[in-house]
Amino acid sequence: MNIFIPLLLGIAVGYLLGNRIKVSMDKPMSVALLFLIFFMGVKAGRVEIDALKLFVSSFIFALFTILGSLFVALLGVRR
Amino acid sequence: MSFLYLVVSSLLLGMLVGKYTTLDFGNLYEFMLYLLIFTIGIDIGKSKGLREELKKLGKLSLLLPASTVVGSLAGGFLASLLLKVPLKWGLAISAGFGWYSLTGPLLATYSPIYGVTGFLANLTREILTIIFYPLAIKKVPKEKAIVMGGATTMDTTLPLMAKFGGTEITLLAFVHGFVLTAIAPFLIPLILQLL
Repeated sequence: MNIFIPLLLGIAVGYLLGNRIKVSMDKPMSVALLFLIFFMGVKAGRVEIDALKLFVSSFIFALFTILGSLFVALLGVRR
Repeated sequence: MSFLYLVVSSLLLGMLVGKYTTLDFGNLYEFMLYLLIFTIGIDIGKSKGLREELKKLGKLSLLLPASTVVGSLAGGFLASLLLKVPLKWGLAISAGFGWYSLTGPLLATYSPIYGVTGFLANLTREILTIIFYPLAIKKVPKEKAIVMGGATTMDTTLPLMAKFGGTEITLLAFVHGFVLTAIAPFLIPLILQLL
């Protein structure tokens, strides 16, 4: 299923029923998230992973996205 | 912070179950993903005050998120070249803007390895922001340093921005995170489908 369908459906429901939905979305989101991360771990556990390579890749992606954002903000944003 | 421990514990527990058992959870993963995306959609749809907040803050409220999008994708592009990761995955990982709980599971539907990389890369972005934002604002204007946190500036790193950047940038940080939170769920699948 395309990911946009539940997203757009959720936005429509939130927009149309926003005032009537009194329950906070925090708890359902947290529960869904914990299950999701668990199942993601199960999938990843079935594949051979080079932990060091994974750590280095993650760190480089994090560092470069932060530095890239800072660079563009410093260069392109004027008050 | 305690929820972060639960998240990391869930990941580690899942990896152990996956490695040492043959349990089959069927389509539960996809079901939980769509449920999460649906609730994220409801949350976005319920937030109606954004237009007024944007007017109050002026063009900076849109320029900063735009900088984060362009800069993160450019950073992801360079990281892909350096690590020899296919561009499609590199850009999709960067398009999470620190939202690890969305990026990881979303990418894992296509590739478990890139799912975990997307999760860890974006979690690391949040952690690096927590460590380095207070240091960065000694050299960089504090309102521009907001971009470091990406989408997390509307929740997890917001107290940090408020404490070190001052209350005057709190609203800007929130709107910055909110705009990116609205963009990421569209941008990640778009990159994966287009490239």
